[in-house]
Amino acid sequence: MGGLARRVSYIKAFKQRSNTEVPTLSVDAGNLFTDDRFSANQLPAEVMTKNKWVVKGYGDFHHDAANVSYVDLPYLGELLKKDGFDKRVEEYPFIERLISANIHPMTDQHRELAPYVIREVNLKRGVPGKKLRVGIVGFSEPKPTGPNAAETVYAGFRIDDPFEAAKKVLPELKQKTDFIIALAYMDMGSAQRLASDNPEIDSLIGARQTSNMEEPQHFNRATITYSYNQTKYLGELRVYVRGDGTTENQINRYVALDSDIPDDPAAQEVVTAAHTEFTKEQTTNATAAAARNPNPLLGGDSPYVGVETCAGCHEKENDVWVKSRHGHAMATLEKKNQQFDNECVGCHVVGFQKGGFQSLYTTPQFANVQCEECHGPGRDHAANPGKGYGFMSTPVGCVKCHKEPNDPNFDFAVYWPKIKH
Amino acid sequence: MVIAVFVAAIAVINHGCSRSNDPDSEGGHDSLSFDLNDPKIKERLGEDDGYAFAIMYGADIHGSLETCG
Repeated sequence: MGGLARRVSYIKAFKQRSNTEVPTLSVDAGNLFTDDRFSANQLPAEVMTKNKWVVKGYGDFHHDAANVSYVDLPYLGELLKKDGFDKRVEEYPFIERLISANIHPMTDQHRELAPYVIREVNLKRGVPGKKLRVGIVGFSEPKPTGPNAAETVYAGFRIDDPFEAAKKVLPELKQKTDFIIALAYMDMGSAQRLASDNPEIDSLIGARQTSNMEEPQHFNRATITYSYNQTKYLGELRVYVRGDGTTENQINRYVALDSDIPDDPAAQEVVTAAHTEFTKEQTTNATAAAARNPNPLLGGDSPYVGVETCAGCHEKENDVWVKSRHGHAMATLEKKNQQFDNECVGCHVVGFQKGGFQSLYTTPQFANVQCEECHGPGRDHAANPGKGYGFMSTPVGCVKCHKEPNDPNFDFAVYWPKIKH
Repeated sequence: MVIAVFVAAIAVINHGCSRSNDPDSEGGHDSLSFDLNDPKIKERLGEDDGYAFAIMYGADIHGSLETCG
């Protein structure tokens, strides 16, 4: 589900279906970049590469604006450096469409973000010939650090109160535009407050919590909708305009970007190039790591033993597993060149970041969703076989991976017979 | 030769304009690679019921241009 290539295909089809009569804006509500393994104020090189391709992909395939969230700040620090900024913008013009009204750099080494962008669309329906000025403004909540705690300083940026920022920026934007879209990376309650406090907002598009809220909510003039995680379902907000130019209605749809939507070939080329460069860098890193310390976990340090050890006693169960999709989970990533992508591998291996799988080069014995991923680390059990090991709470244990964003159609009653053992 | 260079230059200029200013352009790659009348595509697009403009939105791609597996 999802992905840039299907998203581009759908939007092209949407435009052509209405003979390009309908202006279409594309926006992102936040968390565009990964902050995976951000430490000591640095992102690993391969993570930088992933993010660079997002800037290129979103720029090449027309996105009008992207809201900056706290998650984006580690990479944003690279993009907004004054040193070399003009050259970066020349190469990736999309940088200038990254917006936030309440995030500011802490030092003068970085450029300020624009609080908003204004796009002019030519209406052919409602009021044919009217040029509608659409303001797109961004807000983010601070970085949560606990149930009632948050950091307002992160990765060299200051995250001001979004509600105070809205009070400052929205009256100014209202003077310049006919329609305001607020992009808000915050929970639903905060989004509702933002819309309630600010009658200038026409549409509020939120993110940070998964939603299947097909019917938008309404506060003041604003229609509130929420994005699906990872854009596996593309949000489509249709705006209907009366003859006097005012907004009559807004209707929300979520469009499943599944295999019925073909990949756009040009966008797919970009996606493939991104995977290829990322995998090449990861291969270089992993090969070097393996040369320094081949199979570092085979000396007994890992709490996991791997499926070959399990199969020594549990032959029947192993026969079922070998034929299952769990037994080939890594191959599904390799087909798409994603076998080194930490965002993916956790659900395709055993013990990722828990002393099991590290990479295909250093710990290939822990690839695929093996016995111990569900039943727990088995080193003690292998040393002292007996009852008491292996209880698994189903389906609770399954949904750590088979959950809404990854597998919205998960049904334990249907899936379990496929791996029953 | 001169004409060919001139035509190529105009094409590059136009392409650049559409990328930066036209909100209806998909970065200059507007051709469809599939049949718009495919029943599955038509079903997914829904009815054109007279909306004046549309906002396509998403979030949380977290560095990935494609989802896993």
